[in-house]
Amino acid sequence: MNSLGLALAIIGAACASLFAGIGSAKGVGLVGEAAAGVVSVDPNKFSKVLILQLLPGTQGLYGLLTAILMLRKIGILGGDTVDLSTAQGLMFLGAAMPIAIVGLFSGIAQGRAAAAGVGITAKKPEHNGKGIIMAAMVETYAILALLVSILIINNIAV
Amino acid sequence: MAKLKMKKIELIALLTDSKKIIELLQRRGVVEICRNEEELSGTNVTSIISEFEKFRSTAAQALDILGIYAPEKTGIAQMIGSRTEVEKHAFGREAMQIDRIMNIAGEIIRNNRIITDSEAQIAQNNIKSDTLEQWKKLDVPLDFKGTAATSAIIGSLPYMADSDSIEAELPEGCFCEIISASKEQTNIFLLCSKTVFEEAMNALRMMSFIPVSESESKTPSELIKLYSQENSDLQQKIVECENRIIELQTERKQLKFAVDYLQMRKDKYDVLSSLGFTETTFVLNGYIPEKYCESLQKELEAKYTVFIEYTDPSDEDDVPVLLENSRFSSPVESITRMYAMPGKKDVDPTPVMSFFYYLFFGMMLSDAGYGLVMLIGTTIALKRFKLEESMKKTLIMFRNCGISTLIWGALFGSWFGDIVQVIGKEFCGKQIGSIALWFEPMNDPIKLLLYAFGLGILHLFLGVAVSFRMSWDEGRKLDAVLDTLPIYMIVLGAAPLGASILTDVPAILKSIGTPLLLAGVVLLVLTSGRSSKSLFGKFFGGLYALYNTATGYLGDILSYSRLLALGLATGSIASVINLIGTMPQNLVFKAILLVIVFIVGHTVNLAINLLGAYVHTDRLQFVELFSKFYTGGGREFAPLTVNTKYIKFKEEKINE
Repeated sequence: MNSLGLALAIIGAACASLFAGIGSAKGVGLVGEAAAGVVSVDPNKFSKVLILQLLPGTQGLYGLLTAILMLRKIGILGGDTVDLSTAQGLMFLGAAMPIAIVGLFSGIAQGRAAAAGVGITAKKPEHNGKGIIMAAMVETYAILALLVSILIINNIAV
Repeated sequence: MAKLKMKKIELIALLTDSKKIIELLQRRGVVEICRNEEELSGTNVTSIISEFEKFRSTAAQALDILGIYAPEKTGIAQMIGSRTEVEKHAFGREAMQIDRIMNIAGEIIRNNRIITDSEAQIAQNNIKSDTLEQWKKLDVPLDFKGTAATSAIIGSLPYMADSDSIEAELPEGCFCEIISASKEQTNIFLLCSKTVFEEAMNALRMMSFIPVSESESKTPSELIKLYSQENSDLQQKIVECENRIIELQTERKQLKFAVDYLQMRKDKYDVLSSLGFTETTFVLNGYIPEKYCESLQKELEAKYTVFIEYTDPSDEDDVPVLLENSRFSSPVESITRMYAMPGKKDVDPTPVMSFFYYLFFGMMLSDAGYGLVMLIGTTIALKRFKLEESMKKTLIMFRNCGISTLIWGALFGSWFGDIVQVIGKEFCGKQIGSIALWFEPMNDPIKLLLYAFGLGILHLFLGVAVSFRMSWDEGRKLDAVLDTLPIYMIVLGAAPLGASILTDVPAILKSIGTPLLLAGVVLLVLTSGRSSKSLFGKFFGGLYALYNTATGYLGDILSYSRLLALGLATGSIASVINLIGTMPQNLVFKAILLVIVFIVGHTVNLAINLLGAYVHTDRLQFVELFSKFYTGGGREFAPLTVNTKYIKFKEEKINE
């Protein structure tokens, strides 16, 4: 049994949830700071800014999703662990990279856009929805990266 | 359907009826009144308006104060903003009491002022007592100046010192007592004979001595006692005032009523100020949806002497927009409103997107259990509470989305993730396979991805079809065909080629696709530059359009992959929750943990994914669909209506 292959695959799964999670945490934190400022003046806007704050949280979920798909595929979750060659392990590591790296940066960028959206909510609450959409635009790229990660994982033969 | 046809209304009536007519229009809420620019004769009602505003804010302030001292118990119905219903004649009866209600509002505000003043006084007394605390040992008043032969000096030095060192600096015959001392300050009492008083003072000044200032002729401990007595009196007063305010909470309903009543009066006078007048008549201009024209005219003519004329608005008029849709589509109107109201040339996009809105929402959430929760929750809320129209529509929208979620979840075999399989395996020892009616996306994501792209293409084609229809109706028939046909050809031709990257596509489709794609490209390049005058411009215009179409539609279609991504995210997180819940080996622990983790975990997962599904469904409509045909920029119909916060009239509104 080639344990290096398995280790590489696990590092891949860890990277997916790690970096995408960090990106989301940073993004959500950034919006939270801006949102707290608005709520301190007008507590009624809490639910509106909360939606904006949650937006950059999805990258972390995508990282988790990728990690689970990988762990299922290599049998760590729900089944018998499969044998992986070093090359296969590297393939899994590569498969994790799109969502890991794009998740990290898009989470932060989306956080910035959403924090600016909090400004819209503060000044013109009726246009709150536009701020949400602008922040959601950033997420497209995280979704595309997730797609590539899923496609690769799905097509690695084990 | 869609945008209601608007008419301009001109109403001329007797001045004596003006207030009653305005009141009637206000209650009907179907006419938007335009400001009359060419004033026939100016009326000055601004002072009345500001008077009403002053009273209204007094009542509102009193209500706020009541809210602090006697918070209202709120049920869910209040939280989602229901108003109390009031009969029209009851409204009249209560209106007679407005003076009494204003007195009550005044009393509440007065009591509140006493409370705040007393609290400030208490704080001040506390500071004073704190300062006096260090003089407590002194048993003469702080303003004690001495006896016949001696002078007393009371004050402090801004450093630590003892009596010997102080006396050493002073002339003979001075006696110094340290009252209290700390690192920062030494408080001293100094007694000297009158003859050396000046000399002693000079010496003290050299030592940066600060005399104490106090006007009361009482000893410090007496003063402290006095302040604490005063404070307890004040405290008593505060309690009394608070009780009085709490007693007055029985009048809360009346106060709310006053706020609304005064708001209505103010709105009415606002309208009056914008009317045109002659000596005996007034003129009112505005917009009214065509379907209310007849009923309003009948009602007004039956009661008053009026002349009403309806005309069609011209192109220059800034006509407001009111949406009306079928029961299926109207709940999604708020989504249209969030983007922008339809402009002059737009069609209402609500019926275009409603079906896909529900479809995509369900596909992204795609868990039958969550769909069921949404369906039950919204149905109960709709049955149990009397809701405002807008809230009702939102709830119906989520109910419809819930049904769609339920269907998609059943198709994908996801009920709270894989809870059926988990319980079967962990507690009954049975392996239950997939319960999907169609297939499980986790096992074949590529299949779902292709379906997502397919639905996306249909969605986009729908948008293009609407734009075709709009151009066609405007009479630009050639433009309609040339702007849409190449897009259909290119996308349909490229689709099998693109799909073949991911899966096997029958050869026949590919062999049709290639020539269709090429024909579409040629048609697009040849015709897109037709508006340009030079041959050169035509050619490059065509190339540019090709580039735009290729990148634009590729991006748009790829964007629908979020249907897969969000659906997978919901399902996989739900599975993880179930997995965490079944970690212990012991069956009893497992059952207890599973129940807790199940409730908490799935609530959080539902909340996050509900938000995700909502935001991304909106995005697919706004960015992908609306960009094909919709510009927006219309102004929403804002009729003169009863703009109340707390009460609602129990009467037929022809508006609804």
